Amino acid sequence: MKEILKEIEERFGPIWERVQRPKLAQVGIEPAKAVPLLTWLKEHRGYVTLVHLSAVDWIEQGEFQLTWLLGNPETEERLMICSRIDRENPAAETVSGLWPQAVTYEQEINEMFGVSFPGSPRQGVPFILEGWKDIPPMRRDFDTVAFVEKHIPGREGRKHIDTRTYIGEKFGEKGYLHD
Amino acid sequence: MTETRERSKEVQIWFGPQHPGITGNMSVQTWLDGDTLTRGITHVGYLHRAFEKLMERRLYIQSFPIVCRICVPEPDTNEWLLASALEELSGLDREVPEKARWIRTLVLEMSRLGAMLMVLGGHAGSMGLGPAPQWMIALRDLVLDRFEELTGGRVYHMYIVYGGVRRDLPEGFAERMEQTLKTIESKLPLIDDVIFGSAVFRKRAMGVGVVPREWAFEMGISGPVIRAMGIPKDVRKDEPYEKYAELDFDVVTEEGSDIFARAMVRRREIQQSIDLIRQILARMPKEGPYCAELPNMLEWTIPVGQTYVRAESSRGEMGYYVVTDGSKKLRRVHVRGPSYVHGVSLLERLIPGTNIADLAPLMVSLQVCPPEIER
Amino acid sequence: MDDKIVKPEPPLGGPPQGSRPHAPVGDGCFLGEEMKPQAPSYKEALARIKNWFRANSLWVMAYGTGCGAIELRPLATARFDMERLGIAMRPTPRQSNVLIVSGYLAVKSLKRVIRSYEQMPSPKWIVALGSCTINGGMYWDSYNTINRLDLYLPVDVYINGCMPRPEALVAGFQELMRRIKKGEADGWRHYMENLDWYKENQKKIITDWDLPEYNW
Repeated sequence: MKEILKEIEERFGPIWERVQRPKLAQVGIEPAKAVPLLTWLKEHRGYVTLVHLSAVDWIEQGEFQLTWLLGNPETEERLMICSRIDRENPAAETVSGLWPQAVTYEQEINEMFGVSFPGSPRQGVPFILEGWKDIPPMRRDFDTVAFVEKHIPGREGRKHIDTRTYIGEKFGEKGYLHD
Repeated sequence: MTETRERSKEVQIWFGPQHPGITGNMSVQTWLDGDTLTRGITHVGYLHRAFEKLMERRLYIQSFPIVCRICVPEPDTNEWLLASALEELSGLDREVPEKARWIRTLVLEMSRLGAMLMVLGGHAGSMGLGPAPQWMIALRDLVLDRFEELTGGRVYHMYIVYGGVRRDLPEGFAERMEQTLKTIESKLPLIDDVIFGSAVFRKRAMGVGVVPREWAFEMGISGPVIRAMGIPKDVRKDEPYEKYAELDFDVVTEEGSDIFARAMVRRREIQQSIDLIRQILARMPKEGPYCAELPNMLEWTIPVGQTYVRAESSRGEMGYYVVTDGSKKLRRVHVRGPSYVHGVSLLERLIPGTNIADLAPLMVSLQVCPPEIER
Repeated sequence: MDDKIVKPEPPLGGPPQGSRPHAPVGDGCFLGEEMKPQAPSYKEALARIKNWFRANSLWVMAYGTGCGAIELRPLATARFDMERLGIAMRPTPRQSNVLIVSGYLAVKSLKRVIRSYEQMPSPKWIVALGSCTINGGMYWDSYNTINRLDLYLPVDVYINGCMPRPEALVAGFQELMRRIKKGEADGWRHYMENLDWYKENQKKIITDWDLPEYNW
C-alpha cells in the first residue's frame, strides 16, 4: 500500500494518508482533485470496483466528508478516498460515468444529506423517503427526537426517568456513588 | 395497478410491495411488452428505520440491538462487523481471547448455514416447488434451536459484543450440534432430488438471469453471484478474519452464471458450512476466557478514526464503514450491503428481456434483502 | 346482513323450555364456549355459526411488512404448521381476511398497508406483531416509523415481543379465534363506523396523500 500512496502524492500533490490495515489505506485529498484521482486509479492502477460511496457530516467544521471506497480485485486491497466539501450549498462531481452503481449512492446521499451531484441521473428523485418536507434527515442538525415528538404520536406511559435525579431524589445525594 | 399506454403498447405493472414472490417489503416497477419485461425500476424505503441515524444517538453498547436488525436472516454478521470495527479503532482487538475468536467463527458460520438453507428453499418456492421450502425451513429451524441454546434468541442473538462473546458454550453443545448437522446432512440428498433433479427447476433456472462476466468487478458484485461466474472471490479467503485463515476450505465456484449455477453454489456452500462447523468444533479450545476485560461501557470513548471492515455474509461482501470522533457515540456508520448493488443496479440491468414469470426466481437468486439497501 | 349477536328476545309462543328443538347437540365447543343451554333466537344461532366458520378459516394475506415475517415462515411450514389451525396464506388481499402487520411500519409502508387493508373483504382482522407496533419499540425515536398502529388501523390482537416466537404467534391466533367466536373481534366494523377519525389520523402522518376516498 505504501507504493500507491507515494505515487498518488507525486502525481496529485499533498495528500493526507494513513495505512489502517495491511490491505486498507486512507487518502485525504482536496475535492477538485478527487474525481481525477478516482479516474486514474480505475484506469491505470486496477482499482476498478467502487465498493461504496458515503458521506459524513462534520457540522463543527462546517464540512461534509465524502468517502469513495475503491477495491482492487486482484490484490484485494481497499483504498479509501476522502474529500471534504463545504457544508453551505454542498456539491460534488459525479462518478456515475465511471461506475453505474454510483447513481444509486449519489441519489441516496442527495436525499439523506442534501449534497448534490450535478450531472448524475436521478438527482432529486426520492429513493427512500416519501413526501419528506424537513431538512435532509441524516444531517447532524436534524433532531429525530424532536421530529418524533412533533409529528409521530406515541402511546401514553413512556416517561423518561433520569437515573441520577431519580436516585438523588429518593436516596439523597449520597445515593449515587459514582462521580 | 396497471396502466395501459396506447402508444407503446406497454403495460406497467408493480411487482410488490404486496406480492408473495417478492423478497421482502420492496417493489419493482416494471413495464411489459407481451410477457417480456422491457425495463424496471427498484423502489425501496418501505423498511427504512434510520438505523444509521439512531446509532449516532446511542452509546456504543446500545448500538448492538440495532445492528442485528439490519439483516433478519443473518444478524450475526452485522454484530461481528460492528464489534470488529470498533475493536480495531479502539485497539481492543489485540485483547480478544482465542476462544472468543473460535466461538465467533462458529456463530458466523452457523448463521451462514441457516441463511443458505432458507434461500435454497426460496429458490424452489419461487418456482412453485412446494415441498422443498417446507423441508429447508424446517432444517433451518434446527440451526435456530442451536442458536437459541447458545445465545438465548432464535432470530436476533445480540451475542457477539466488543472484546468477545456474551457467554460461553453450554455443556455438551458440540455433541448436539453434531447431531443437528447429521440430521441436515441426511436430508440433503432428498433435497437435491426435489430441487436439482426436478425438470421444472432445471428448465426454468438454466440459462435464465445470466450476469455477464464484464460486470463482475466494475459493479462490485460479490458472494454467490460472482462465484457462479467461475470467479473465486470470497472474503473469507481474500482477507481472512477471525479464524478462517486456519480452517481448511476451498472457494466454491460454478460455471454458467445463471440461476441454476447460483443455486448450485448455495447448495455446495451448505455442505461447506457443515464441514467448517465440524472443523471449528473439533479445534475449539476447551478452556479459557470468552471475553476480554472491558472498560465501563457507559463511559467508554473511542479515539478519532475511520475504518472499513468486511465479512462474507451469505449474500456477499458485507461491509461497515465506521467513523468515530472521540466521543461516547458513533459519528457515522455506513452499512454496505451486497444487496445495494444486486438489488438496485444489477437487477435493473438484468430486467430488460426477462420473462415476467422469471422475475421472482431472479430476485431470489440475487438474494435481494431490502433492509440492507435502505437501512 | 346483521352479524352482531342480538340479544335473544323472549319466545313468543315458542317451543316449551323442556324440548329445545333448536339447541345444539354436544357441549359449547361447537358454537363457542359462552353457549348457554337455552334456545337462542335463530339470528343469534346463525351469527354464532358464521363466527365459528370464520374463526376456523383464517386466510392470511402474504405481505411481509416487516422483520416479523421471518417467523411466519417456520409457522407456515412443516414444524409449526399453521394450516392445522385452518390458517392459510393467500397471495392477494381480495382472498384474505387476516392482515398480519409484522413489525414496525415505515410511513411509506403504512400507506401500502392501508391500501391493502381496504381492498380486503369484510369481515377482516388485523394481527400486529412486535413491540414496535404497540409503542414504537426500539424505533421509538426514529423519524420514519410510526409508534402506535391502532391510531391508523383497527388492531384486533397484539402479539408482543421482538420478535415474537412462532409459539407466541400460535397463541395470538388462538386468541383471535376465541374473540371471533365470541363476536368480539369487530375492528373492521369499528373502522367503518369511525372512518373519518382514522382517515384524519392517516392524513396527518402520510404527507403525500394520494389514496382514493371511499364512501362506504
